[in-house]
Amino acid sequence: MADLVDSMLDLMRRLPPTRVEENVNALVGMCPDYADDLLGSVDQPLKVMVDRATGREFLACDYNRDGESYRSPWSNEYDPPLEDGTVPSTKLRKLEITANEAFDTYREMYYEGGVSSVFLWDLDDGGFAGVVLLKKSLAPSSASEPSGSWDSIHVFEAAERGRQAHYKLTSTVMLQMVDRSTSKSDSVFPGKEKDEKNDVKRDGEVTLSGSMTRQTEQDWPLQDQTSHITNTGRMIEEMEIKMRNLLQEVYFGKTRDVVFDLRSLDDLEKARRQRELQKELVGFIKTR
Amino acid sequence: MDAEGRILAASKFLLQAPPGEINDVLNDVRNIVSDDDVLQSGVLPALREYNLAQFITADVPGHQHQCIVSEAARLKPTEEVEGEEEEGDRFWDPRSRTSFRFDHLSLEASDPQSIEPEGESEPFRAALETATVAYLAAHFQSGVASVFSVAGNADQFIIQVVANKYNPANFWSGRWRSEYTVDLAERTLSGKILLNVHYYEQGNVQLETNHTISLALPPTITAESAAPSAPKVLALIETEEGKYQESLGDTYQEMGEKTFKGLRRALPMTRSKLDWDKVLGYKLGAELSSNKGGFAGAS
Repeated sequence: MADLVDSMLDLMRRLPPTRVEENVNALVGMCPDYADDLLGSVDQPLKVMVDRATGREFLACDYNRDGESYRSPWSNEYDPPLEDGTVPSTKLRKLEITANEAFDTYREMYYEGGVSSVFLWDLDDGGFAGVVLLKKSLAPSSASEPSGSWDSIHVFEAAERGRQAHYKLTSTVMLQMVDRSTSKSDSVFPGKEKDEKNDVKRDGEVTLSGSMTRQTEQDWPLQDQTSHITNTGRMIEEMEIKMRNLLQEVYFGKTRDVVFDLRSLDDLEKARRQRELQKELVGFIKTR
Repeated sequence: MDAEGRILAASKFLLQAPPGEINDVLNDVRNIVSDDDVLQSGVLPALREYNLAQFITADVPGHQHQCIVSEAARLKPTEEVEGEEEEGDRFWDPRSRTSFRFDHLSLEASDPQSIEPEGESEPFRAALETATVAYLAAHFQSGVASVFSVAGNADQFIIQVVANKYNPANFWSGRWRSEYTVDLAERTLSGKILLNVHYYEQGNVQLETNHTISLALPPTITAESAAPSAPKVLALIETEEGKYQESLGDTYQEMGEKTFKGLRRALPMTRSKLDWDKVLGYKLGAELSSNKGGFAGAS
C-alpha cells in the first residue's frame, strides 16, 4: 500500500519541521506495519551520544543502529553493548576510520564546533555505502540570544568501475533558528518614541525552521581507496554550500517576502490615491 | 492503537495544519486512519478548535462582506437554546447584525438570523469597526476584520484581523493574525500578532512567530468621545504593527548574518574550500612522522 506511505510523506511535508519527531512517533503508533517505510524515508534530528571507550561524542541515527544499540565511529563499539552487532569488514572499517578523521577536519573548518560521524557498510554487489552526519547546536547564553540547530545527513552509494567510481548522494539538511530579539524592539528604534509610549510592553519569539533534501550522481577518478574520501568529501562540501545558500537566500527569503505580502508597511490607500492623482495629472497635461 | 488513540493523533495533526492546507492534511489523515465513520465524528472538535484559533472567515449570509469565526464571535448559548448546543454553535457578525450557524467541515455559514447588539457599547464598537475597516484597507491586500463587544462588559472590545494568502501552485501560503482587547475601564490596549508562513517547494520551511503587546491608553481616548477616540486606538495599533514588521525584517537580517554563520559558515575562515588531498595528507604525514620520526624533518 504505497498509497498510505505517500499520505504519510505528504503529511510530513506539511507539518512543522520543529515537530518531526513527535509526528513520526504518532504515525508509527497509528500504522506500526509501515514503521520501517516511514523511518527509512523521513529524516529526523540526530541524537548526540558519548562513546564510553573514548569519551568522544558521536551521532546516532538509523544507519548506525542495531536493535536498540548505536555503534560509535571512534571505538567501533555498540552502546548499549552488543556482542554480535553488525560492523563493517576490516578493509571498510579502515576506510571508515580515515573518513571520520577527514570529516572531523571538515566539521571544524565549517562548523567551528558541533559533532560529526561517518558510518560505512558493505553492499551485496561488492560496492559500499555510507552516511556522513554533521550536527551543530547553538545554546543561547541568555534568553534574548538566538538559539538554533543544524543537522545534515548525507547518504551515499559508491560503485567502483575500473579507475572510476560512480557515486549517488542524497543529502538532507534540517535547520531551526529561534530569535527573541523582537521583544526588545524599543532599543532597535531609538528616538522614535520619546512620547507617551514609555510603558509599552512587548514580548515574542520568531521561529524559522526547515528541512530539504537534494540528490546528485557523479563520476570521479579513483586512484586508491582513500580517493573515495576525497571524492565524497568534495561532493558533500559542494552540496552543503548549495543547500545552505538555498535555505538562506531562497527559502527563508521567501517566507520573509510572504510576510511583507500579507501586510504592507506603506499605506496602500495613500499609494492608490497617489497613483490616481498622477493619472489625472497626466491626463490634464495631455488634454492641454 | 485503538480508535480513540488514532482520533487523538489525527486531531493533533489537524491542529498543526499550515495556512490554507487543512484540507490537504485532512485528506492525508483520512487515508491514514482509513475509517471515515470514526474520523468524521471524531475530528470535528479538532476542526472547530482549529477554525476558531486560526480566525477562519465566513461569507456572511445575505451580505457582501466576510467576518471572522472565532471564540469572540461565538454566541454564548442562552437558557432557551441550550438544547441546540449539540448541533453546533452559532456565531455572529456585529457589522451586519447577523447571527448564523457555522459548519466546521464545509466552512459554510447558514441559517442567518438578525440579532440586536447591546445598546450601551454599540456606539464605541461601531466607531472602532469603522476605524478598523479603514486600517485594514490601508495595510492589508486581502484582509478580514471583525470588532466585537464583550457580553456583560460594556468597557471591553475585541478587534480581530486576519490576512491569508494561499498560493499552492507555487507551494507557499501565509497567515497574519492579530487580536487586540481595548479596555476603557482598565485603560489598556493589549494584543498579539501571530504569523505563519509555509514554503514547501522541494522542501518544508516554516516561519512561526508570536508577539504580544500591552500599553496604556492615552487619556484622550474615552468612551464618551467614540468618533475621535476610535481612530486613535487604530493609530496605536498601526504604529505597533508597523514597528513589529520592521523589527521582523531586522530579525531576518540578524539570523542570516549571525545565527546562520554561528551554525555553519558559508566558507571556512580561509575563505576557500577545503583542499581534500591536503586534509588526507596532513593525517598521513602526521602518521608517518609519528611512526618514523626521523623522516619528518627530511622533507
